[in-house]
Amino acid sequence: MEFSQITISAALPEFILISLALVMVLIAAFAKQTETDGEGSIKLVRTLSLLGYFAAFLALFSVPDGRIVLFNELFAVNDLVIYMKGLILVGAFFASWLVSEQWGEGVDRPEFHLLVLMAVIGMLLMVSANNLISLYMALELQSLPLYVVAAMRTSSLKSSEAGLKYFLLGALSSGLLLYGASLVYGFSGSTNFEAIASSLSGGASVGMIVGMVFLLSGLAFKISAAPFHMWTPDVYEGAPTPVTALFAIVPKVAGMTLLMNVTYSAFGNITDQWMQILIALSVASMIVGATGAIMQQNIKRMLAYSSIAHMGYALAGLAAGTSEGASAVVIYMTTYVFMGAAAFGVIMTMRREGTPVEKISDLAGLSASHPLLAAAMMVVMFSMAGIPPLAGFFGKWYVFLAAVNAGLIPLAVIGVLTSVIGAFYYLRIIRLMYFEDSDAPLDDGASHQNRMILIISVGFILLFFFGIGTLSQEAVSIVSVYF
Amino acid sequence: MLSSVFFYLFAGICCLAGLMVVSSRNPVHSVLFLILAFFNAAGLFILLNAEFLAMLLVVVYVGAVAVLFLFVVMMLDINYSELREGFQKYRSLGLLIGAVLLVELFATFFEYSGNVKSLPSPGAVHNTKALGQVIYTDYIYLFQLAGLILLVAMIGAIALTLRKRSGVRKQVIADQNSRTRAETVKLAKVETGAGVKEAS
Amino acid sequence: MIEHWLIDLAWMIATILAVVVPLLIAVAYLTLAERRVIGFMQLRKGPNVVGPFGMFQPFADALKLMAKETILPAGADKVVFIIAPMLTFVLALVAWAVIPFDAGLVLADINVGILYLFAISSLGVYGVIMAGWASNSKYAFLGALRSAAQMVSYEVSMGLVIINVLICVGSLNLSDIIEAQRDMWFALPLLPMFIVFFISTLAETNRAPFDLPEGESELVAGYFVEYSSMSFALFFLGEYANMILMSAMTTVLFLGGWLPPFDFAPFTWIPGPIWFVLKIMLCLFVFLWVRATTPRYRYDQLMRLGWKIFLPFSLIYVVLTAGFLMAFDKLPVIGG
Repeated sequence: MEFSQITISAALPEFILISLALVMVLIAAFAKQTETDGEGSIKLVRTLSLLGYFAAFLALFSVPDGRIVLFNELFAVNDLVIYMKGLILVGAFFASWLVSEQWGEGVDRPEFHLLVLMAVIGMLLMVSANNLISLYMALELQSLPLYVVAAMRTSSLKSSEAGLKYFLLGALSSGLLLYGASLVYGFSGSTNFEAIASSLSGGASVGMIVGMVFLLSGLAFKISAAPFHMWTPDVYEGAPTPVTALFAIVPKVAGMTLLMNVTYSAFGNITDQWMQILIALSVASMIVGATGAIMQQNIKRMLAYSSIAHMGYALAGLAAGTSEGASAVVIYMTTYVFMGAAAFGVIMTMRREGTPVEKISDLAGLSASHPLLAAAMMVVMFSMAGIPPLAGFFGKWYVFLAAVNAGLIPLAVIGVLTSVIGAFYYLRIIRLMYFEDSDAPLDDGASHQNRMILIISVGFILLFFFGIGTLSQEAVSIVSVYF
Repeated sequence: MLSSVFFYLFAGICCLAGLMVVSSRNPVHSVLFLILAFFNAAGLFILLNAEFLAMLLVVVYVGAVAVLFLFVVMMLDINYSELREGFQKYRSLGLLIGAVLLVELFATFFEYSGNVKSLPSPGAVHNTKALGQVIYTDYIYLFQLAGLILLVAMIGAIALTLRKRSGVRKQVIADQNSRTRAETVKLAKVETGAGVKEAS
Repeated sequence: MIEHWLIDLAWMIATILAVVVPLLIAVAYLTLAERRVIGFMQLRKGPNVVGPFGMFQPFADALKLMAKETILPAGADKVVFIIAPMLTFVLALVAWAVIPFDAGLVLADINVGILYLFAISSLGVYGVIMAGWASNSKYAFLGALRSAAQMVSYEVSMGLVIINVLICVGSLNLSDIIEAQRDMWFALPLLPMFIVFFISTLAETNRAPFDLPEGESELVAGYFVEYSSMSFALFFLGEYANMILMSAMTTVLFLGGWLPPFDFAPFTWIPGPIWFVLKIMLCLFVFLWVRATTPRYRYDQLMRLGWKIFLPFSLIYVVLTAGFLMAFDKLPVIGG
């Protein structure tokens, strides 16, 4: 294999992050021995990883336009992939930025940032996967560090439970995915996406469809679409809050892009078959997400159900199987990242007497004690509920429009209904913040980076209205690679 | 002729051992049967002229992975009858899922037309070399990716289990070696019957 | 047709016996040699009564062991308990299938000979674990755990050392490895690796100074504390056969196998197999010498040596060796 200019520039973000990760391994290993508590090394590692995400983001602009296939056709880059990689890097930047060095909960160690960086590398490679083998390997590279960071708070039983649950179910889903992949390979004779697509030009055999179902189930687990969502609430609740923030913001983007890649490029010739699966997943996720969140007392748990619902809406766009639907997914995931960052920007300032609190009832009376924070949370909640003219509304609007135009009217109707149910619990938080009093107000003093993240992401949500025209055109052009 | 006899021998023992893994009452026996299954799988590889893979299977899975399995299983103190009760509770559901999978498997089996490319013939190059030639060229991407995954697994295992304990005195061999006689040994003249005074 | 097939089979069995029988006799005399050598090193005489110079001592020991009663401890897992010593012994024997005694004089000249040896030696740990677990005894179990951890740890650096040799040879075939040492034994250019390998073989065979698994003072006798009679004898034979095997492996990898030390007249008159045996005996002597002279390691020191010194060191050496061969364009090009 030749290591040409194009190889380097097309995979530059990954090269940067991988070399940085290797350097960080050494820092994490050796800085600790010399220092008493590793305080200095965690700061260094965190700064390095933030710089790395930034550098990788810049490096994305060096990636040549059009479709490039590298490394013996195992790795592919196109406009959609580049956009999604950018989104992942932004999300990862937010998630790492949110964690201050003194957060505690077991994440105040250099290994945390290192593992997150590894997971982000996995996500970038996952998005670029062009072969069932590289898909699986990248997926594992993404999942393994996430299992570990979920259990990072070794002193907490809940965190260990979260890690273990996530690991066991994740391993099961990887098994499903592999089983499916082996069937697909068996019936198509290749693991390459293009070769699979061309073998399907004459329609699919039973084995192929069975394989595809398993493959999609495995991927659905990774984006926590119902009925493969069981792990989500427990993991979100048990994991340390910064880890939950990471889970809520980034991996779903990678998973959704991968799902898009697989369905549109590998199985692009049998749209009718996978459409039914995606519709079922979408409906189930929307219903589970909307109804499950109602009774929750813990805000992390509630956001877990909310993310299940969000995945349901995004899947509705994917299920449309049209260029319009795909571009709607792109828009939806964009808004999703910023809403997630904003929501956790608020949650991670919630402290009472120095210790983090995570009950929904702790938000009571927030408008009186912290008016700005309450306003930010209100914007986020309105956006998640889909109230115009906020970002979340446009995401839903494009998705449902695509579903209707593709003839999936029942799907769109269910989507609108579940949005209404969902609005109930988003609005409940606003009611708590504005119309109820609290005897013990939360601590003051959001950290500097929390404020910055809130300003950026809430600003994005508020001003999304002005950029939507450009974004939607852009989205249509970047998904054109598949149509 | 002979190779097909051996094929059925290895395959048969492999399947039987696999069955015993799930059905034997004692978990240590399960692991031992698992090892037997690995062995027979290695035998099957040899019949395919893939002796390198066969040896690797034995070295890696039998020689290392299964040893750790055995370790863990032997150390665990689990009440297996309780586990079995839990198993009974979900047995009907498990059987249902198993049946569905079996039907699907049969459906795919009968549909199969066999459009997989046949195995590349070993030819003049023996398979260790052949593997080396593709792993480090065509599949270098996957090779490196696998390396990263293993690195992550290692870091993760250390991050989860390493705990700093206070009050532990560790042996630092460099310190021990760098000690000189002058700073550690002090000769004192002890008078008979007086004993050693303070070793200042 | 049938007769032809039978003759083949008989020939096969005869060749196998031709390897196994001398091996067993060698094992028997190794036990005697051990006691005599250590005896002399400690200014004692060692067993010298049975037969001339005590030559019949091993057979007397064997007869004694056979005459004893085999005890199955209560609560032992009988099947595993009985299989374990058999496994240890059989593994020590089957490895000899690929050891070449001279050019072409080998039972199975397979392509992946060294991997086969490595695989078989890595299986030795099962005999130990199974014995320790099946005995249903604390001492045996602790001994088995120690021993298994130790064997697995040292196997890693052994593997890397083998890779060093393989880089220089370009083949996994044992005969090729020996032929590649015609000009120079690998013990010279790879001297550090030779030392690492030899120490690892000590640990791999659970010999002093790494004989913690059977540390008498703490564990009575380690994993085979519950064994008696022939089952004990099998463990015993297995351990010594493994020592000989490891010496043979060292000889093949580093000491030029059947090749004479110098490739000219008086040395080339002596046939290859004799050189091979002499070299093995030299290695075995070092095994005994070490046992007589070094104190036992502490367990954490043993693990530290394996993981924190040998592993990184042999890994770095792989890079160095490969880099050297690349830089001077000396990479081997043996076909196949």
